[in-house]
Amino acid sequence: MELTILRGAQALGSLSMRPLPFPALPRRALWLGAAALLLATTGCRRHQSRTTAHEPVQGGTLIYATDREPICLDPHVQGDMPQVFLAEQYLDSLVAMDRSGHILPWLATAWTVSDDGRTYTFHLRHDVTFTDGTPLTAEAVRANLDHMADPHTQSSTAGGYIKQYAGTDIIDTYTAAVHLRTPYAAFLEVLAQGFLGIESPRALARPRDENCQNPVGSGPFRIIRWDHQSQIVLARNPAYHWGPPTALHTGPARLDGIEWRIIPEASVRFAALQAGEVDVIDSLPPEAETPAQRNPDLWLLMADRPGNPTNGTLNIKRVPFDDIRVREAFIRSADIDGALASVFFHHYRRAGGPLSPTTPFYSPAFEHHADYDPDRARALLDQAGWTGRTAEGIRTRDGRPLVVHIPLKASLSAAERTLWEQVQATARATGFDVRLENGDDTTILEREGHWDYDVRIGYWNTNTADVLRIVFSSAFLGAAGVGGHHQNEAGFSDPAFDRIVNDALLTTDPDKRRALYLQAQTIAAQNFLQITTYPQSTRLALSRAVHDVRLEPSLNVTSLYDSWVTR
Amino acid sequence: MTHLLHRAVPRFLGRLLGGLLVLLAAASLTFASLHLTPGDPVTAILGGASANPTPEAIAAARHEYGLDRPIMVQYALYIARIARGDLGQSFSQHMPVIAVLRAQAPPTLALMASSLAVAWLLALLSVVPTARRGVAAAIASTLETIGAGLPQFWLGILLLWGLAFEWRLLPPAGNHGLPALVLPTLSLAIPLAGFIAQVMRESFDLALDQPFILTARARGLGDGAVRLRHALRHALLPCVSLSTWAVGALVGNAVAIEIIFSRQGLGRELFLSVATHDMPLVSGIVLFIALTYILAGVAADTLYVLIDPRLKGTRP
Repeated sequence: MELTILRGAQALGSLSMRPLPFPALPRRALWLGAAALLLATTGCRRHQSRTTAHEPVQGGTLIYATDREPICLDPHVQGDMPQVFLAEQYLDSLVAMDRSGHILPWLATAWTVSDDGRTYTFHLRHDVTFTDGTPLTAEAVRANLDHMADPHTQSSTAGGYIKQYAGTDIIDTYTAAVHLRTPYAAFLEVLAQGFLGIESPRALARPRDENCQNPVGSGPFRIIRWDHQSQIVLARNPAYHWGPPTALHTGPARLDGIEWRIIPEASVRFAALQAGEVDVIDSLPPEAETPAQRNPDLWLLMADRPGNPTNGTLNIKRVPFDDIRVREAFIRSADIDGALASVFFHHYRRAGGPLSPTTPFYSPAFEHHADYDPDRARALLDQAGWTGRTAEGIRTRDGRPLVVHIPLKASLSAAERTLWEQVQATARATGFDVRLENGDDTTILEREGHWDYDVRIGYWNTNTADVLRIVFSSAFLGAAGVGGHHQNEAGFSDPAFDRIVNDALLTTDPDKRRALYLQAQTIAAQNFLQITTYPQSTRLALSRAVHDVRLEPSLNVTSLYDSWVTR
Repeated sequence: MTHLLHRAVPRFLGRLLGGLLVLLAAASLTFASLHLTPGDPVTAILGGASANPTPEAIAAARHEYGLDRPIMVQYALYIARIARGDLGQSFSQHMPVIAVLRAQAPPTLALMASSLAVAWLLALLSVVPTARRGVAAAIASTLETIGAGLPQFWLGILLLWGLAFEWRLLPPAGNHGLPALVLPTLSLAIPLAGFIAQVMRESFDLALDQPFILTARARGLGDGAVRLRHALRHALLPCVSLSTWAVGALVGNAVAIEIIFSRQGLGRELFLSVATHDMPLVSGIVLFIALTYILAGVAADTLYVLIDPRLKGTRP
């Protein structure tokens, strides 16, 4: 789902990486610097392995530094990326997903789907207990699904993904029959996401805001303490022997514990890693990627996330993007490859189609369907009647200039902002007057609710091609109905497209789903609804003393279950 | 004694009433400003326009936080709640506001206290040995002016880049231990020291011109003793007033510094809560800052009397 909480002073962060002029400091600052030298004696951890161990080592604490703090540790509530990163360490899921998109057993050893596709019967492991001592039973499955679907939970992600949920019947202690209102072939896929992780029903029975502070799972670690704005402390769950099938080992985690630090400033986070203050950082900033590669003490772990890639979605409900020719012209006038190369130092690839390459049923056929082509863009604008020119070279039609309004949220990263400045520059060469309009997040959200934009910047991380239904089908034009919320940001409405994405939910046959999602991708691409830029990605930089950090395949979030440190 | 008490009680009541009015005004202004700026807290709570909340979830959140009521009713309930001493539940943190304050106020207060102390130390070191001493005074005075002109956030980035990134002398981030407090403290203290020192130098120079200084010297007192025991006392009073203002300014500047150094604290919390239109949390932090400011005023009054016993007659 969308990034909503602020990333701190990103602009300051990029500034601090540049070599600033270093004027003569006041004399007293210098002697204070000397005093500081005396203070900074201890605390530095070394990256290099002390031993040359090739066998996993038991014990030790790993310090992980991340950019954003979860607002609630229970991923059912709201449901933003920082929550699922933490959930991966202390929650297990009913099913797991592997790299090729296959669904594998985890807490559920087996399952059956009824012929009408509306009842999923899960057979659970008998030997799982939550870290508060509660056993995993069918009752726990019911409590969790009910909790996600309960409006009071304030679930935007998990609750949204199981809108079809009707209720759960308890067949016996370890068998649960989950009923859906309509067939939903993506159900198992979303269940594999950490957002829908299974929590202790006894802990869930507490008030929501209490459960937010210290939720309880059955995972390899349990939450010990949360020092708000500073760190979350986790300790090993010694009883753990039900790890996911995608893990590298079985049995309890190798680490004694994790300190999950919150360091919002990207350059500060990277400096903390270089200084050995922390062992692993995520959201490695683009400008630090080359230095990190060259640093012999560090290694990198990266993967693209599935879903709808980072994009600017064109609002087709008003001029000028109500005209498909102008949409194609705009997309073709934006030199995304050039912008990516300069903003992300050649580290990010283009995502050209409506799905990220790691999404199940992704087709590579659309990667180049709307590449940079300013000549074609000019011809399309001529055809669409935008033939006039202002003194500044902006195209006009009936005296009206060709203006594109793009609201930018304050929380947008500095890199993303620069990317859109480059789009602004290249589109201007074709005759578009692109206006980047800054505002705080809530103001921009309000504008988006009222369809007051021409381009809306966003992305959608999920492990299923069903994301196409959420971002382009007419059911999501005003789905939530209050405050103008809509997930179909383009305003696209096509009965043929709706039928295809809904049919894809009726069958669990992979070949049929693949064929339907190919059609859906074709329609989305042909209508030029988005400038897709790059896939969302998980980018870790790690100390050489850290081994076997794994990215969990469903959303490519960090898993520290297998990890060990040599120090 | 009874005479003093007679005068102290109305004065105390007046201060109390004034303090309460300041708090009421702060609470009302916070309410008004958050309601006048566009944006909807529910969109922030539920993850914005590209999250996938059900209409039922949105309606439930609106009702839970009382956002479905008329605005005047919301205001009345809000003031009544604060009057009862209940700061409410933060929308965005899923915690009682009082718990957020309890966790976040200590790091900010520690930063403020250390900044104020270091600023005073720097100011004293810069003024007392150099005042009225030709070249030394000129150099120190110039450094004070430069210091007072440095923006805190810029200084913070500079210190971070130099001492943490390049020379690796100090940790770049966090709240872990005393070393982590050094850079944020210096970022706030150096500009403040510049301000305090400028004011101190002026009063110090004036004091040195007074006849009693001449008398003291005539009694054979050494220069150091004259400066420390006689001139300094006079130079302190305006600096104490300035420090009251500085307490307020430090909270404001802590926002940027806490973000730059990834420190825990009220400043960062305030920044995040304004962005999400989290009314209970914003007002809780604003009230806390207002209260700190009021208490700083009381502390300054007490300090006046301690520094200048002559004030006892006029200001009990």
